Amino acid sequence: MTLLDAVATILLVLLLLGLVRIWRGPAPADRMLASQLFGTTGVALLLVLAESQGQPALRDVALVLALLAVLATVAFVTRVLRIARADSAGEHPDV
Amino acid sequence: MAYAGSAAVRTALLLVVWWALTEGDPGAAGFGLGAAVLVALVSLRFFPPAAPHPRLAATLAFAGYFLLRSMVAGVDVARRLLSPRLPLRPGYLTYTTALAEGRPRWLLANALSLLPGTLSVTLRGDELELHCLDTSLPVHEDVARAEHWIARMFAG
Amino acid sequence: MSDTLLLVLQALLLVTGCLFFAVGTLGLFRLPDTLTRIHALTKADNLGLGLIVMGLLPAVAGPATAAKILLIWLVALAASATAAHLVGRALRAMEDGDDGSGP
Repeated sequence: MTLLDAVATILLVLLLLGLVRIWRGPAPADRMLASQLFGTTGVALLLVLAESQGQPALRDVALVLALLAVLATVAFVTRVLRIARADSAGEHPDV
Repeated sequence: MAYAGSAAVRTALLLVVWWALTEGDPGAAGFGLGAAVLVALVSLRFFPPAAPHPRLAATLAFAGYFLLRSMVAGVDVARRLLSPRLPLRPGYLTYTTALAEGRPRWLLANALSLLPGTLSVTLRGDELELHCLDTSLPVHEDVARAEHWIARMFAG
Repeated sequence: MSDTLLLVLQALLLVTGCLFFAVGTLGLFRLPDTLTRIHALTKADNLGLGLIVMGLLPAVAGPATAAKILLIWLVALAASATAAHLVGRALRAMEDGDDGSGP
């Protein structure tokens, strides 16, 4: 077990802990933080793994993950805003 | 002339990105050159050279300031979280920026989210609404300093 | 000798990076509302990512790979700032939508 493996394990555990926390909610906005979590912790994990496993392709995965994190947030925010607007217009008073 | 200069600068930047993305694989260089030239030309069509060109020296100065302060931001958050009392005084603050519309304002809003104690929430015209972790801190002065560095970047 | 020094420095950077990621996750549990959680996630995690990137740099194969890692770091930084702003704005809009007046 090298240092890099240890670092990767710690990051994975932190990522899982964060996911558990986000999964429990309660607000939808808390779930939006998941994409942020993957955008930073996930990228760090992949970069470390690329080095420790000797798999340069994982760096490409990290890059794509960082880019997707923004898109996921944009999609989520757009959806939440639409729901919020519908709420204030009284279309879904119980959501 | 400015057009050709921008095309050259953008092609060079894209070539550096290509070189990094392919991890220096010489076999991909020819394809990368073609792609860089093509993308630079297409980008000029969609994003013509903008009037206030960022200045290199001031950009590096801002980058240095930003790196240093974002480290302070991380340490500051860690200090607050690890303290058992959890010292926070969250609240909103509205800052009126003197920066020009477009890139300078956008850069300030985004940079502030990574600087100590501030998170930009909305940007309407020149009114920047910030969420602050601790409203007893001199947030206004901090924002003004970041604004000063960005203003120097785009000084014509 | 300088090799050992570099390894120690690298280990230090990687471990400190992990600590800041841990603080970010701790923030998710300890902080009272979503906005303050965003503060913790963006700031602590970005410092963590920066430290881990710095720790990885001496180990990579060549300058091009180092440049790639730095590029990914820049993208992640911009992504994190943008995402933080977007979520913050959505939250503000929801607050306004809830009571119609805002705080």
